[in-house]
Amino acid sequence: MSRTPNQLETWGVAVAALVILVVLPGLNAFTPVASALHISDFTINLYGKYLCYAVFALSVDLLWGYTGLLSLGQALFFALGGYMMGMYLMRMIGDLGQYHQSIPDFLVFLGWNTLPRFWLPFSSFPFALFMTIALPGLIALIFGFLAFRSRIRGVYFSILTQAFTYAACLLFFRNDLLMGGNNGFTDFKFLLGYDLRHPATQRALYLCTGLLLLGTYLLCRWLTTIKFGKIQRAIRDSENRVRFSGYATAHFKLFVFVLCAIIAAMAGAVYVPQVGIINPSEMAPEKSLEVVVWVAVGGRGTLLGPIVGAITVNAMKSWATRAYPDLWFIFLGLLFILVVVFLPGGIVSLPERLRAAWNNRRRPPEESSDLPLGPAKIGAPSADHS
Amino acid sequence: MKVLSKLFFSTLLIAALLARSLAAALASGPVADESAVRHLLAQAVLSSGPAQQRLLDELAETGSKVVHDVLTAWARGEIYLTPAPDGSKIPVLLDEQLDSVGLARAVRIDNGRFLVDAAGRESRYKAEDLDAADTDMRLRRTIQQVLDMLALAAPGADTRVSAVAKLGYSQKPQYIPVLEHRLAKETDSSVQRAIHEAVALLQLGDADPAVQVAAAEALARLKDIGALDTLKRLAADRTLKPAMAKAVKAATSSIEGHIADVNFLGTIFHGISLGSILLVVALGLAITFGLMGVINMAHGEMIAVGAYTCYVVQNIFGSGFVSSITLPFTFNGRPISFGCHLPGLNAAPGSTLYESYFLFALPLSFVAAALAGLVLERLVIRFLYRRPLESLLATWGVSLVMQQGFRMIFGANNVQVDSPSWLLGHFTINDVLFGYNRVFVIAFAAMIVLGTWLLLTKTPLGLFIRAVMQNRDMAACMGVRTKRVNMLTFAFGSGLAGLAGAFLSQIGNVGPSLGQNYIVDCFMTVVVGGVGNLAGTVYSAVGIGTADETLQQVLGSPVMGKIIVLTIIILFLQWKPGGLFASRGRSLDD
Repeated sequence: MSRTPNQLETWGVAVAALVILVVLPGLNAFTPVASALHISDFTINLYGKYLCYAVFALSVDLLWGYTGLLSLGQALFFALGGYMMGMYLMRMIGDLGQYHQSIPDFLVFLGWNTLPRFWLPFSSFPFALFMTIALPGLIALIFGFLAFRSRIRGVYFSILTQAFTYAACLLFFRNDLLMGGNNGFTDFKFLLGYDLRHPATQRALYLCTGLLLLGTYLLCRWLTTIKFGKIQRAIRDSENRVRFSGYATAHFKLFVFVLCAIIAAMAGAVYVPQVGIINPSEMAPEKSLEVVVWVAVGGRGTLLGPIVGAITVNAMKSWATRAYPDLWFIFLGLLFILVVVFLPGGIVSLPERLRAAWNNRRRPPEESSDLPLGPAKIGAPSADHS
Repeated sequence: MKVLSKLFFSTLLIAALLARSLAAALASGPVADESAVRHLLAQAVLSSGPAQQRLLDELAETGSKVVHDVLTAWARGEIYLTPAPDGSKIPVLLDEQLDSVGLARAVRIDNGRFLVDAAGRESRYKAEDLDAADTDMRLRRTIQQVLDMLALAAPGADTRVSAVAKLGYSQKPQYIPVLEHRLAKETDSSVQRAIHEAVALLQLGDADPAVQVAAAEALARLKDIGALDTLKRLAADRTLKPAMAKAVKAATSSIEGHIADVNFLGTIFHGISLGSILLVVALGLAITFGLMGVINMAHGEMIAVGAYTCYVVQNIFGSGFVSSITLPFTFNGRPISFGCHLPGLNAAPGSTLYESYFLFALPLSFVAAALAGLVLERLVIRFLYRRPLESLLATWGVSLVMQQGFRMIFGANNVQVDSPSWLLGHFTINDVLFGYNRVFVIAFAAMIVLGTWLLLTKTPLGLFIRAVMQNRDMAACMGVRTKRVNMLTFAFGSGLAGLAGAFLSQIGNVGPSLGQNYIVDCFMTVVVGGVGNLAGTVYSAVGIGTADETLQQVLGSPVMGKIIVLTIIILFLQWKPGGLFASRGRSLDD
């Protein structure tokens, strides 16, 4: 091996980006449907969804893997971003809804004749885009400020974020919030004047998502390599030492929290036009936990891990919910238990482990000194079989 | 007129129902006490004039069901006189059951047996061939009065109260003497109160304004909730005299104030009972999370284990429990499936044995959940004692598996768990309804808190638990078998969740995602109370439960109440990040 792992990662990412951003859409657009190389519109749409999840997972990883803040409310920001985009898309339906009126169907159903005031500016795409970033960012700023100021951390932070997203979820289920109640927003027609059902629009959205993922990845990579990233990891490993060294850790954490909220919200904003629906179940507590699963399975504290995890777990989910609908949750649960207990490094740590196991076999085993790695030792041989 | 005819038809319906039960009661043979009553009844039917009147008055005091049934039949002309061999007449009722030629057996009023002829065979008659005992307008009115008095003299105080209330709402002033007659003899205070209310209610319709005002004032004093509608109707009447209008207004506001008080107290009571369930759940969590530092997201599923144990035990007492799972895989070409069949005791619903199932289910639900906790600790949690955040994630995986497991074993829908009848009733203090099940839950929660406190402070195991909680390594150095203590503590915490599940099965629905509704609340309770502090958990559980329920009532929407409570909790933690009773230590990172 002449190349360092870092260079290896760069090459890998470059190749993956080429495949995702050029090859797949190209095959979808320019090969005939009958061809063996053809990628169907459905597949492009599905991959687009996975890429959104990957961005989402990156935001969780930056928070959890790098800063040690396990937020169980990240889905709230994802869904809020989705809702902001959804409001714009609802306005774009125009009078093509069931009731053929100029305001969204659910408002007609609730007895409204005119648009509520806060809906008015959402007819403009730039405003919706701005709100996609501003609202989740603002909420994260307020919540984070309160939480970090009173030094809520670790498990308490997780529980509090979970309660917060639970409260928000309950709120969005209500009709009188005028955000669609438990049906949410659906039946979207146009985005910037393009028909959402057209394959070319979906392809463009897919490309946008791919670019967003690439941009997020590069941003995270840059952030984690500069001094900021070092402080981030230092906070994760021993916050008090960092604070005693004179750093205002609360400010660092607040910045990361708000940044991650915005990343998640942008993922939500590109997610909604691709799946065509957004409703409050998207911010239910278990959604936030699910994305944590992806990160854990892929490997937290790495940048490739969450991307690999999000795509792998969701691809498995797509397959398993069709093949074994009853057993999917059991499978997901077991996978999660096994990964957390026996493979804390996730999938991306497998090659490293295999190499270590291989080296151990050739050399006489020496007793490792300390560390609660008992389960890890059990994990290594089992990884050997695979 | 319409009301009258309605009343008439409903009386007919009731009488028809009664006649059926009467025949059954008569055929089952007389009770010792009944024979005297029956004798009087037969005499009353045969006599006439003042003597009859006197007999009927006497009968009114008995409160007996037989009197009620016979008199009802009499008023409808369904009592027949058959000639006896000595020339006298025997009053009888005809049995409901007709034989093949349309004849019915006759039941003697005086002893309740079937009438037999000289040869000892049961005589059979047709209704048209018999003479009905005569009734005239006056007699029927007397009978009706006796029936009313009879209801007022019924054995159970509750029955009497409802009979009194019925007369009170009848708007017929002729019942006032009847009620007052009863009041003189009544000893039960609740019935006395009901009679006062009913009389006042009837007097509202009196012609004399002074009586009316006095009645309204009496109602205001008695705070009779049932009178509110009548009073409101009166208040809407423009022709009312000023004095009366004032009295009615005072009475209305007095009653409305009383209703507000009753609702408030009822809400508090509901809140406390909800809080005590939360308390039992949170106590389990406080032990696993607060004392052991393990975040068990599957704690909610332990609740479900307890609730489903109740369901299974109930089925075992009934017709048995059957469940089977078929996996979507095949082995040697055959689908893999598991089945389970637990034979039932086939106790009849309502029998003492069936009703007692809950007494067996309670300890079993503790044991089942504790065992589940034990297995969970051995398989997963023991690897994660030093990694609390990861215990959260792994146990969430466990929770997913368990939920799906419940869905596969018990079905995705809610299952029906019947409350034993001794938990179904309620008692009333000052119009506030106290359900037995909720009172039971509160009492039991108090016992559990006491038991847990005793366990932790007075037993060797409790000493070990506290030692391990304070410093696991040091405890191990001192020779405490920390692994065993961990195991037992976790099992105990899970068992408490199982108990809470057994309670929940009595109050709400039992379904696969039962635990999910409580897990967020539970964690909040423990955090607010102060992690590692049981007293704090008790205060915060009762506080959050009560606040939740009260806000839900006040705001009229469960969701807004919950949102406000969650927001208050988040803000509260700004003020006291360590919870109500933060544990003080010198450790910085803990």
